[in-house]
Amino acid sequence: MQKEQICFTLNGETIEVYTDPTISLLRLLRDELGLTGTKEGCGEGECGACTVILDGMAVNSCLVPAGKAKNRSVLTIESLAKGDKYHPLQEAFVEKGAVQCGFCSPGMIMSAYALLQESSEPTSIEIRTAISGNLCRCSGYKQIEEAVLSAAEKLKNRGESG
Amino acid sequence: MSYQVVSNLEQVLSALKNRGENSRIIAGGTDLFLEKLPEKLLDISALAEALVIEERGGTMLIGAAVTHARAVASPLLAKKVKALTEACAQVGSPQVRNLGTLGGNVINAAPAADAAVALAALGAKAELIHYSGNTRTVEIEELYAGFNCSAIDSCQELLLRFVVNSSDSGSGSAFARLAARKSLALPLANAAAWLRVEHNCLQEVRLVVAPVKPAPTRLFKTESLLVGRPLIAESWREAAGAAMDEVEVRGSLLRCSADYRRHLIGVLVGRVLETAAGRALTAKGEA
Amino acid sequence: MPTETDIITGDRKTDRGFQTPEVWAKITGKAIYGIDLKLPGMLYGKILRSPHPHARIMGVDLEQARRMPGVRAALAGDELSCKPFGMVYKDELPLAIDRVRYIGDEVAAVAAIDEKIALKALEAINVDYELLPAVFDTEEAMAPGAPQLHDQHPGNLAWQRELTRGNPEAAFKTADLVVEGSFSVPQVHAAYLEPICCVADYDPYGGLTLHTAVQSPDIVRELVADVLDLPVSKVRIIGPVMGGGFGGRVYGNLKVYIISSLLAIRCGRPVRMQLTRQEEFIAGRPMIAAKIRAKLALNQDGTILARAVDLITDNGAYSAQAPWVSKTLSERNDSVYRIPNIRTTVRLVCTNKVPTGQYRAYGNQVGNFAMESLLDMAAKKLGLDPLELRLKNCVKKGEVTVHGLRINSCALSDCLQAAADEIGWHKRKPGRGYGISAAIHAGGSLVFDKNMRGASAYARLEYDGRVTLFSGEQDYGQGTHATFILIAARALGIEPDQIIIYSRDTLTSPFSIGALAMRQTTIGGKAIQLAAEKLREKIAQTAAEMLGEPVVMEGGRVRSATGKTLELSEIAADYRFQTSGLSITGEGKYVPSESAYDDTGYGNIAVAYSFAAHTAEVEVDRETGEVKIIRIVAAHDSGRILNLISARGQVYGGVTQGLGYSCQEGYLFDGGRVLNDSLADYRIPTALDVPDIMPIFIEQDDPEGPFGAKGLGEIVMVPVLGAVANAVADALGIRVTDLPITAERVYQAIVEWECEQ
Repeated sequence: MQKEQICFTLNGETIEVYTDPTISLLRLLRDELGLTGTKEGCGEGECGACTVILDGMAVNSCLVPAGKAKNRSVLTIESLAKGDKYHPLQEAFVEKGAVQCGFCSPGMIMSAYALLQESSEPTSIEIRTAISGNLCRCSGYKQIEEAVLSAAEKLKNRGESG
Repeated sequence: MSYQVVSNLEQVLSALKNRGENSRIIAGGTDLFLEKLPEKLLDISALAEALVIEERGGTMLIGAAVTHARAVASPLLAKKVKALTEACAQVGSPQVRNLGTLGGNVINAAPAADAAVALAALGAKAELIHYSGNTRTVEIEELYAGFNCSAIDSCQELLLRFVVNSSDSGSGSAFARLAARKSLALPLANAAAWLRVEHNCLQEVRLVVAPVKPAPTRLFKTESLLVGRPLIAESWREAAGAAMDEVEVRGSLLRCSADYRRHLIGVLVGRVLETAAGRALTAKGEA
Repeated sequence: MPTETDIITGDRKTDRGFQTPEVWAKITGKAIYGIDLKLPGMLYGKILRSPHPHARIMGVDLEQARRMPGVRAALAGDELSCKPFGMVYKDELPLAIDRVRYIGDEVAAVAAIDEKIALKALEAINVDYELLPAVFDTEEAMAPGAPQLHDQHPGNLAWQRELTRGNPEAAFKTADLVVEGSFSVPQVHAAYLEPICCVADYDPYGGLTLHTAVQSPDIVRELVADVLDLPVSKVRIIGPVMGGGFGGRVYGNLKVYIISSLLAIRCGRPVRMQLTRQEEFIAGRPMIAAKIRAKLALNQDGTILARAVDLITDNGAYSAQAPWVSKTLSERNDSVYRIPNIRTTVRLVCTNKVPTGQYRAYGNQVGNFAMESLLDMAAKKLGLDPLELRLKNCVKKGEVTVHGLRINSCALSDCLQAAADEIGWHKRKPGRGYGISAAIHAGGSLVFDKNMRGASAYARLEYDGRVTLFSGEQDYGQGTHATFILIAARALGIEPDQIIIYSRDTLTSPFSIGALAMRQTTIGGKAIQLAAEKLREKIAQTAAEMLGEPVVMEGGRVRSATGKTLELSEIAADYRFQTSGLSITGEGKYVPSESAYDDTGYGNIAVAYSFAAHTAEVEVDRETGEVKIIRIVAAHDSGRILNLISARGQVYGGVTQGLGYSCQEGYLFDGGRVLNDSLADYRIPTALDVPDIMPIFIEQDDPEGPFGAKGLGEIVMVPVLGAVANAVADALGIRVTDLPITAERVYQAIVEWECEQ
């Protein structure tokens, strides 16, 4: 496949890349742009480790052709912390012990981020549904659920949205 | 350009016409990396005509590029075609539902695709446009050429949207599935029903189950047995039994045995009928 | 010893929590895992695997692959001169010579400038196979005339054991009741979320460096050095962050390290080799499958008299640690209760299927499923409450079990009572089933390695007054390092944020046999405690010399009797000056006082034993057979809990893995082919599958463990299987004896039961 120019917004910044548009967005991010925070657990859309936000929606970046990002906005885990100011989701994941091996955490946090954009007071079942495409083998999900609840609370208290 | 996000219909058709067999239409693209890539891709996920969800004169128009997530979030669909909402809510995972489209669910031709099963039960018809400009409208079941093999050639023809009759009063629909886990799983079996009730009796029924054949499978015998029946538990029990007799199922070492799948189809048929009937009554105000 | 008992429930959620700063790297995407690593000039390695379960290799033609542009090396087994290797038997070669024994067996390997070219090169390799008859079932494999896998295992018997303790025959004859059952459990995969990946880098001067995350780097280092015939000191393993392990990554996949090393040596460039998820399933090292026939003899009053087990385990094509796993599986549950008479036979059988390895809890959970099922069957026949039956027989502090385990601390009966109370054992809801199960697990097994049974560590005072710990014990998310820092902080009397720990480089870390056998806290942590105490002593000694009077160290500084104080940084600086550059260090070596066991395996095999009782509440849909787990209560005696936040995480996660084992997971085969070789079809639990899990910790100090602590990481998944099986049986009145307890299995059990009636 020929390479072509793809212009899109990555983590708030407009960028232009010259790449094969039929490789996955995951390959583009990890191999060509060096953003290895987005993880690859299966490459088949079955584990959620590669979850990024595409125009506000959580998607498996391993299933998205790079060409699909054209003129759209992509957010990865690298965008959440501003300098040494962590996103409330990141703080809550640490405080609640939601991180063990951490391999699922970036994708898990991005799924939770998408949820908190939609819903400022998510219920436990909404949280579990929102992360049901993100496999975690370490945690049993309980402390992740607690972290998302706590992050929602933090955001509400700060008067911010996700 | 080898990957094109197309924004109007004209563009799609002329691109198909000019490019021959090496180009093909994609929408969500979720299964793209599981197969051999074509050389040129036409991405229709932003094509306005394929993104409609609206009711026009007693007909629901549902674009083929509507994602499962958008379908689930639509109050109109929940009101008019509940089986579709229920089916879409159970596809894959949130991430896959955000990308995967209704058209893709049908064109992938997986034998137990949840949305396709619901669409078939709802009597949905697919509207297709050939690059020559010819259009055709066909039933969902006709879009299957074999297991995991679509009758639609996406190098020549665009599946634009589904049309569902939504004018019947006193109708209701429901979908159910059973899978080995609650997310990220294909169903062991699924079933969808659409029915219309008059005077507390079934007047019309469409019952679809999968996986039985390559396409979602209508249970015509069971449907005809149900017409005229009252909305009581015994009707659902009999229908479950009739459905088990009517289907010829295959088992697999990976998913489940034929016996169990047959049994499940019976259970699910009983459950979707009961739920759909309840909804029909509510719709009529008879509940 | 202290007898203070402190019960912590899951409701005390946020206190006592500490995590290493590495967690911030993980949640910002900055942590570098194995798959993230790139080295300059790096090549990509791929393995060609056998498509046949059993075949003779007549020839491997690499010429076409070697000629492809971008290919830097292609290797086959016959041109290598590597020794056979293996943990228990030398039964594996880096690349097969003469024969392949399962679908996935490594036949050839390539290195190329990118992954696509490497994959194309694999397609260009021609292998000429002559098919051999294959055998997939353990019983068929033992039958006369069956295809044979290894010359060293006649009759396909990789290992066997006959064991009698006491007089089981007499006990079975005189008992009031004998219950028997047959149980089966499939292969399961640890399914760590990060696939195994290794970047091998070789230079003739420095030697071989493997950038790969394994639970036991020192053992892998020695094995790789041996196979490649390199001096051990010329092999170095540097661990990136590890994306999960759970026992499945103790040695990871040795072939990956060895083959990538061979390619790196051949090419003179770094070679990266990552397993695909499919390769993880078809050629990883899943936990062995087992068929268990077991019986239990009891008196009318519920006293257990004897237990007999006939165990057949499925070795697959190669053994890895399958014999040791089989041993634990066959006997560990005998020590949960007072059982005076034991008869055990074990046969580990080779088949043409995926080779097996170990997984969290080392088979103990499989034995638990059988043992605890039998106990409930007995309780039903005797008309006894399953809880009472367990309380009556469970082991207590001060006892020595039938296999010689010395129980120096034990709150098992408290665990049973707490788990039962919390689930509402005596306040049952109609339509629901309740099950209970109890477990023991060896914390810090001493029998693992003949050469070492303890652990060592260093603590070093830095010039700025902070402390660095050097340990060989790996943390792959289970929280070991946070616990170690807490132990050191307590021993030194300084704040945990003044301490860091380093463990990921075999060049600088003390030797360790690895993150396995639930030994991290009990043994590794003890070494940390001793190192920190030694450091504290040396700091005080140095300070006393500086001040010329006796001192005490408290609150991160040193104070003399006359009120003079010294900061730790001042002491470090003075010591550096006095010694021309040295740092004050503390060496900790923990050598357990005994580890005696005889030829029959009788003896005290561990430093400490952890205990647990789990209860399960379930609902069963009798139409579809679906099991809905409502709640799990997990009551644990792991001694003093040092870091509650990670202890809770271990319970939630381990119970969830146990639930997967109970109801969802397991290899499915068509002959020798793995059918569910993806994360879609190998069904580990999702967030929507996991019920409410309630951890309870019954705290009692253990006399040996650091600050009274015992291990937790493995026992968390042991009692789940039995508790769920018993709850399903309670709900249905029918018992499912094959795992996983899927909807279809339950449905079949109902149908069979109805046919019998």
